[in-house]
Amino acid sequence: MIMNKQEFLTYAGLQTQTLEHWLEQRWLIPDQTGVGANFSDMDVARARLIGNLQTDLGVNDEGVDIILHLLDQLHGLRRVLDKMHKDL
Amino acid sequence: MTNPYEILGVAPTASSADIQKAYRKLAKTLHPDLNPGDKAAEEKFKEVVGAYDLLGDAEKRKRFDDGEIDATGAERPPQHFYRDFATSDHAHPYTNNSGFADFLDGDDALAELLRRSERARANRRGQDLHYRLPIDFVESITGANKRLTLPDGGTLDVTIPPGMVDGQILRLRGKGAPGTGTGGHGDALIEVEIVPDRRFTREGDDISLEVPISLTEAVLGGRIRVPTPTGDVTMTVPKGSNTGTTMRLRGKGAPRRDGGHGDQFVKLRVVLPKSPDPELEAFVSSWDKGKTFNPREDSAS
Repeated sequence: MIMNKQEFLTYAGLQTQTLEHWLEQRWLIPDQTGVGANFSDMDVARARLIGNLQTDLGVNDEGVDIILHLLDQLHGLRRVLDKMHKDL
Repeated sequence: MTNPYEILGVAPTASSADIQKAYRKLAKTLHPDLNPGDKAAEEKFKEVVGAYDLLGDAEKRKRFDDGEIDATGAERPPQHFYRDFATSDHAHPYTNNSGFADFLDGDDALAELLRRSERARANRRGQDLHYRLPIDFVESITGANKRLTLPDGGTLDVTIPPGMVDGQILRLRGKGAPGTGTGGHGDALIEVEIVPDRRFTREGDDISLEVPISLTEAVLGGRIRVPTPTGDVTMTVPKGSNTGTTMRLRGKGAPRRDGGHGDQFVKLRVVLPKSPDPELEAFVSSWDKGKTFNPREDSAS
């Protein structure tokens, strides 16, 4: 599902201010189109993860930054591993 | 039913700070997004979240302790975790290859494999995008040109071929999301939703329609105008037509796959004038044959 900013806020249960902050931090990178950002289900799941980290696990901004960076690397690696697993 | 205190590994007397601490400790090792490769973690994590939902909330915890709600009081809807998307094949902006970039420069077999998969991802086709498009019944038979307004404000011109059925999907090649590199665009998949018409109903390739006629037209016959999806046509009502008499308009139905068209069936319904008419009453009371005719004769009663 592709949604605009307003729909995304409702769907992910976020405040505008929070979202602006996350976008500034590049924690969320929605598709940019001529008339605004397009958010996907993946962005919703990522937003939920960030929310989990901050609220439930008590991680601060710097911690979220580091975790996301490491997670993105981990997924990059997992993807390559998966590809090689299929190729071999 | 598992005891939420046992799930979190705390004593029933634990303070809320202890419960939070226990939850965080477990969540760190069980959160599916922090353990993308651990399939079993998800089930356990759900249990832990359920338990924490209950015990982390002072109000709910009290009600649980008092036996007002059971451990399932905190059932959650199924959730898609980030990990479900992150390793998928689709290109996404969060891709990060710095975890293995150094291996890419080598000249061994591993480096070659890595480079190949990097290239494949660099030229990935864009995603297919799904849309719904409501059209009128008449348009579904005759075909139409429609303009779809996309969520991003853009538009998409769609040519609806004649003879669509509800739920049919049109594929517009190259009108989906952009790909990466030489991957090209994905397709736009448009599900056509047919808004029912209060006049026409469709069965297979045939269309049915009910048309009211006057008593005069029913008794004496006549020519009436009948709507079809392709415009009005003139039809002859034979003498002595009745409610329920069905007539066929050949080739006025939906287009067939093999060329040609289905038929339109016109079902007549005799309608008397709304207000009682003294002349008609006088005539009918003087009409002797009408009094002896019993349309219920055949039906067993």
